[in-house]
Amino acid sequence: MADISVRLFGRTLRNPVMNASGTLGYGIEIEPLWPVDTLGAYVSKGLSAQPHHGNPQPRLREERSALMNSIGLQNIGVARFFAEVFPLFRKRQTPVIINFFGFTEEEYVRCAEAIGDDGLICALEMNLSCPNIKEGGICFGKRPEDVHRIVRRVKGATGLPLLAKLTPETEDITAVARAAYEAGADGITVLNTFPALAVDVEGMRTAARGGLSGPFLKPLALRAIADISGALPIPVIGTGGIMDAGDALSFLMAGATAVQVGTATFIDPFTIPRIIRGIDEYMEVRRISRIDEIIGAARAQDRAI
Amino acid sequence: MDRIDDIEGRILQNRCVAPGHHLAAVKLARPMTKPRPGQFVMVRFHGADIFLRRPFSVYDYGRSVLWILYKVAGKGTSHFARMARGEAVNVLGPLGKGFAPLAGHSPVLVAGGIGIAGIHLLWKLTRGKGALFWGCTSADDVGLLGRIADGGPYISTIDGSFGCRGNVVDLLADHLGEMKGPIQVFACGPEAMYRSLAGLLEAERIPCQVLLEERMACGLGICFGCVAKTLDKKEPYKRVCKEGPVFDLWQISL
Repeated sequence: MADISVRLFGRTLRNPVMNASGTLGYGIEIEPLWPVDTLGAYVSKGLSAQPHHGNPQPRLREERSALMNSIGLQNIGVARFFAEVFPLFRKRQTPVIINFFGFTEEEYVRCAEAIGDDGLICALEMNLSCPNIKEGGICFGKRPEDVHRIVRRVKGATGLPLLAKLTPETEDITAVARAAYEAGADGITVLNTFPALAVDVEGMRTAARGGLSGPFLKPLALRAIADISGALPIPVIGTGGIMDAGDALSFLMAGATAVQVGTATFIDPFTIPRIIRGIDEYMEVRRISRIDEIIGAARAQDRAI
Repeated sequence: MDRIDDIEGRILQNRCVAPGHHLAAVKLARPMTKPRPGQFVMVRFHGADIFLRRPFSVYDYGRSVLWILYKVAGKGTSHFARMARGEAVNVLGPLGKGFAPLAGHSPVLVAGGIGIAGIHLLWKLTRGKGALFWGCTSADDVGLLGRIADGGPYISTIDGSFGCRGNVVDLLADHLGEMKGPIQVFACGPEAMYRSLAGLLEAERIPCQVLLEERMACGLGICFGCVAKTLDKKEPYKRVCKEGPVFDLWQISL
């Protein structure tokens, strides 16, 4: 066994593989297949200060090698999460990253304030892909100045490390990441699903709108990871389109400290444990003793094609 | 907690049993946890332009052979229908909560069309103790019945080409008075059938469980994509794959 542990915010994670928010439910649902402490850290379903019902059907649509979803951030709220869900992670001693969101800046702040400090909480991860209902529905994460303002406010409301999870739907994602960093973010998660639409040709109408995920995201995420990790001195967590261990390794080599696996778990719920084994095997075969030798290794030879 | 596993299987047979309907037998590489009536599996098709798994009710299971009865409706089932003996699939399951029979109640099973796929295993296990009502469009669909004809189900067809003319809930209404003792209804069919059932059973508040169908991505309760709306004001959207696919008729929003 190689040592595949990584350091994140002064804490040691047993491996660099997490689930992406909202793709492993509340954690308990995967336990009939594998224990949650298999993960380097569990990333919570997106939580809000108050519970959210989520969207009516349809919520899912399959596209070619991709999944379009509009779940609508259904969640039980922070209070019930800590009362009902968190005990599993305490029992398993699994580090938790709390993903959270709001539809106004005040909601983000209130949610961050409601999350108490607990030794198992590794970080908060703020979802910046939400529409700001006070700004005509434009997403919080699109403009660097908006990101700077909201990250600074949230940072003022929590003592926990803060990850800013970025949307790919922006002009200059490195500029957005830099704005988050300058406002006090302790790390960056890139990237979220890509906003998309489907048309029903028979009915001549819009069939669905939602966030698109799947393996097509991988090259987009890799570029963002390489650019952001090269530009900023804070950890980057890479997510988007990872389907196997090779994909996860490429994210680490591009500069990610850890990775998150999402849609692949729906297709094969054993993807995460398999990726963890695959990273270990890769290092064993090449006699790489520390994962630090991999992280960012590809960036040095980076050149445009 | 029952074990859920992902097991490789090979198609033993995959026959058209009525126009647009196929019955497949899949031999699993090892036994799966014994499925309960109403539970389902998520099937992964390899090498096709099909990204997600597809959910199917367990029609029957025994000796590591899984039987799936399905209607060809879209890209996934069209692909499935073209698969031949020996081809590989992966089967995740068994999934969801099945039917929960109440002690001291006679089971009355109601299926609408391909809903028979979700009801059949319960019918097999309760045979002789209850009654089955099955509504079809025409005699063509009844061709599905060859293997379940014993036990004497009540059958209706919309066009009257077989059994009683009309819909299955009307047929059930005609026979409801003959049932002795308390009954419990188990149903699988389209939403319109559930609305009619609710109308029929409401006055006496007869216990009724219905099996819901929804598009799914994971089948495990981790994506929250397949929800159905219920009357629970606090948390209206329940996962069909996790809290279901069997729901109390009196708790869902129709």
